[in-house]
Amino acid sequence: RPVIHAAPSVRRLARELGVDIAQVRGSGPAGRVSEDDVRAFQKGGS
Amino acid sequence: MDFDVLVIGAGPGGYHAAIRAAQLGLKVACAEMGAVGGVCLNIGCIPTKALLHAGETIANTRHAADFGLSYGPATLDIAKMNGWKDGIVKKLTGGVAGLFKANKVTHLVGQASFIDANTVKIGDKTYTASSFIIATGSEPATLKGLDVDQVAIVDSTGALNVPDPVPARMLCVGGGVIGFEFAHIYNNLGSKVKVIEFLPNIIPGADADAVKEFGKIMKKQGIEIVTRMKANSAQKQADGVHVELENVETGEKTTEVFDRVLVAVGRRPRTAGLNLEAAGLKATERGFIEVNTRMQTGVPHIYAVGDVAGNPMLAHKAMKEGLVAAEVIAGKPSEQDAVAIPGVVYTSPELAWVGLTEQEAIDKGYKVKTGLFPMSASGRAMTLQSTEGFVKMVVEEGTDLLLGVHIVAAHASDLLGEAGLALEMAATASDVALTIHAHPTLGEAVLEAAESVHKQAIHIVNR
Repeated sequence: RPVIHAAPSVRRLARELGVDIAQVRGSGPAGRVSEDDVRAFQKGGS
Repeated sequence: MDFDVLVIGAGPGGYHAAIRAAQLGLKVACAEMGAVGGVCLNIGCIPTKALLHAGETIANTRHAADFGLSYGPATLDIAKMNGWKDGIVKKLTGGVAGLFKANKVTHLVGQASFIDANTVKIGDKTYTASSFIIATGSEPATLKGLDVDQVAIVDSTGALNVPDPVPARMLCVGGGVIGFEFAHIYNNLGSKVKVIEFLPNIIPGADADAVKEFGKIMKKQGIEIVTRMKANSAQKQADGVHVELENVETGEKTTEVFDRVLVAVGRRPRTAGLNLEAAGLKATERGFIEVNTRMQTGVPHIYAVGDVAGNPMLAHKAMKEGLVAAEVIAGKPSEQDAVAIPGVVYTSPELAWVGLTEQEAIDKGYKVKTGLFPMSASGRAMTLQSTEGFVKMVVEEGTDLLLGVHIVAAHASDLLGEAGLALEMAATASDVALTIHAHPTLGEAVLEAAESVHKQAIHIVNR
């Protein structure tokens, strides 16, 4: 499993929204994934 | 159905699963054939930590002379120490029973055995449930030729009962976490302790530099450590236990005599009596029940957590998995997705780590940078008479992402909380370095190790 650079609560949010966090490109330093990144990815619908 | 969830086993994994499932509104039962609290509370984590504290306190009376505090000859009432330890265990297991009651978890007493995938037999009664969580734990692995009698030849359970007088000569077979914690206890209580390890290194899984430092300190405290050595047989005779030792590399055999021999060569998962086949399950060759990250077995409504579900066999891993299983059953999108599971050896100083070792990071293809801060440069460590060890940080070059933290220090286990959070939050070494740590504290060594990654530590010369 690849290492996901996201806080535990962000990873949980992704699961709740049905988003595969491994697909989300992080906008933070060192590619960290934020809650907004997860929500934007979901809205993008891809 | 009698229950929404029936948890089998009331160890850390099982009682966490049962309580969380009840918190989420499910009708829960927890079956336990022994004492609630399982191995950790009864014959594992808790009693060993009590004895380690007792041993450390004795050692501290000697160090106190450095600042002018002297005692008469220290006397240890071993029966009282064992009783004090047992009292803590009783209080904590009673606490779990109380939590079951408060959360309306039905406590079923006895060995559970599957009749089919929705029914278990406990004693002469049968119970049905929509979901099951198997949390049956593990037991000490045995060694051919060394028959445990729990008096002269003991496993970790027998070693918890310190005999009076303390054994003069003690052998620990196995240089892992359990072996070293007992070696440390008995060494502090006055035994002459020898640890033998089959592998080239002690404490497998820990960072090589940290293990080297740890071994050096343990030797300085008087523990003899021999690697690449195994015990072939042990015979009780009038003058003690005669143990045949064999050098794994040369094949050379010697016989040494000890008063007590601890066999601590690992643990194996426990599924005996469960009748897994009736539920449509099969353990792996090594005895584990395979699960996915939602803790589901091959039979989707049956879950497995803790030692029985795979390595590492650690209480906090079982606890987390218990929560995940309960939450998944309650319909939550929970998953065992921890970045890192911390490991601790509760000696003094402690060895504790979380995340990747330097070698693991290199093997995974990371370009690695490390930072190191010695406790000898920590003011707080000096005031605590505990200046041995260091904090080592493993970081990815370029991104500055934290990959692992390895600590040999007093209270390393507590310092590890910060490191674990940092790893889970995907923190960089800069994030740690930019966080104000209270002064003077041992935790500053974590900050300074992060600074040292960038060659900017203040209290050491950066090279």
